[in-house]
Amino acid sequence: MTISYPDVVSLAVPFFIALILIELAWITITKRGGRYETRDAVTSLVMGAGNVASGIVLGFIAWGFFMVLWDITPFDLGHSWWIIALCFVLDDLRYYWVHRFGHKVRWVWASHVNHHSSQHYNLTTALRQTWTYTFTFMMVVRAPLILMGFHPAMVLFCGGLNLIYQFWIHTEAINKLPRWFEAVMNTPSHHRAHHGRNPRYLDCNYAGVLIIWDKMFGSFVPEQDHDKPDYGLVHNIGTFNPLRVAFHEWVGIWRDASKPGLTLKDRLMYCVAPPGWSHDNSRDMADGIKAKHLKRHPEDQGTPGFEHLS
Amino acid sequence: MPLEILLVLVVGGITGIAILSHSLGLSKRRAFQSADDAQAAWQREYPSSSVTDVILSQSGYAALIQTRRSIGVVWTMGDDTCARILRSPKIARVKTGLRLRLADYAAPVIKLELSTEETALWAAKLEGQS
Repeated sequence: MTISYPDVVSLAVPFFIALILIELAWITITKRGGRYETRDAVTSLVMGAGNVASGIVLGFIAWGFFMVLWDITPFDLGHSWWIIALCFVLDDLRYYWVHRFGHKVRWVWASHVNHHSSQHYNLTTALRQTWTYTFTFMMVVRAPLILMGFHPAMVLFCGGLNLIYQFWIHTEAINKLPRWFEAVMNTPSHHRAHHGRNPRYLDCNYAGVLIIWDKMFGSFVPEQDHDKPDYGLVHNIGTFNPLRVAFHEWVGIWRDASKPGLTLKDRLMYCVAPPGWSHDNSRDMADGIKAKHLKRHPEDQGTPGFEHLS
Repeated sequence: MPLEILLVLVVGGITGIAILSHSLGLSKRRAFQSADDAQAAWQREYPSSSVTDVILSQSGYAALIQTRRSIGVVWTMGDDTCARILRSPKIARVKTGLRLRLADYAAPVIKLELSTEETALWAAKLEGQS
């Protein structure tokens, strides 16, 4: 039987454009709910287009890998609606971990960093996506799903739905949603915190659709009214050039790992250690940034985002 | 979705949003309102640094920041700001002021719009201390 799932991300493009126009109109008319800047927005949109293009050009690598696994596995869970629903939930768990690796492993961060490189937070930011995901090899995290008997096309379909869900949460136009929804689902508020470069919000709220994963794995930090997220990177980039946005961290890895006089372990660590790692401790990782913040602001000790630091 | 339709949607969407955003006046470059404003933008990037002097350009688009240990520049780009501690930048005098080339792939060039007097002062400070 030939199974066909729609390419939901491509089908959603008209809705992405329509919602961006609605958000832009809302911000322009009400003078609240976020901000837009032309070059930032265009850069984000070009990154989104490049992401689609890289999927077309390089997608065969992941697809080939998944089909090899599908040939190997003796399991086939079929295509009933509840299997698709289960696949969606498990793929969301997969997303959580890939996203967490994306912030804790520099090799994966090099791909993901561009999504955080805008100092704005609006619906165009959602489309500021990677061009280099294939090179992170994070497709291996999907292997268990396929080996369990979920068809690769179904897994990719669920991944597409997950990405579409995440589009609308990239907005400041929606404040907080009903408590039951905020408790279970990823929301604009939770994801604003994720995009914050404030020390409090570094490395939190990795969820795609269900925020319960962050609560289960200890990475949940609620958005604080008194500490509004300041969007962007710890050290912001000074360019709107999409090529530099896409590749700057890869270049950074190369420059660090190829420095003369390093041990092999140091070179490897520059590739896989958390962002901010350095062989001479001249840079700060997330916990170091949080600790320095607490020295300047001891009143934040024990508050959300700082609980694990004494 | 056929590739050609997707292409039209993407190119048309990006172009349309860019034109609309520009027409709404959202391409205007931010200018620092004061030395304190510029210093706040610097501290946002380097919260632990001890700033000893801030020289705001007349245009308001950039400020030279002197800290206890180093010299740097904070500048506006679009509606946002960026800052860098300067380590041996290549400094070129251009018609509109100075152009700094950095060994930084994510911020390769800083174009500083300066008056003639400012250009001389900033160049002297940068060449003397960076």
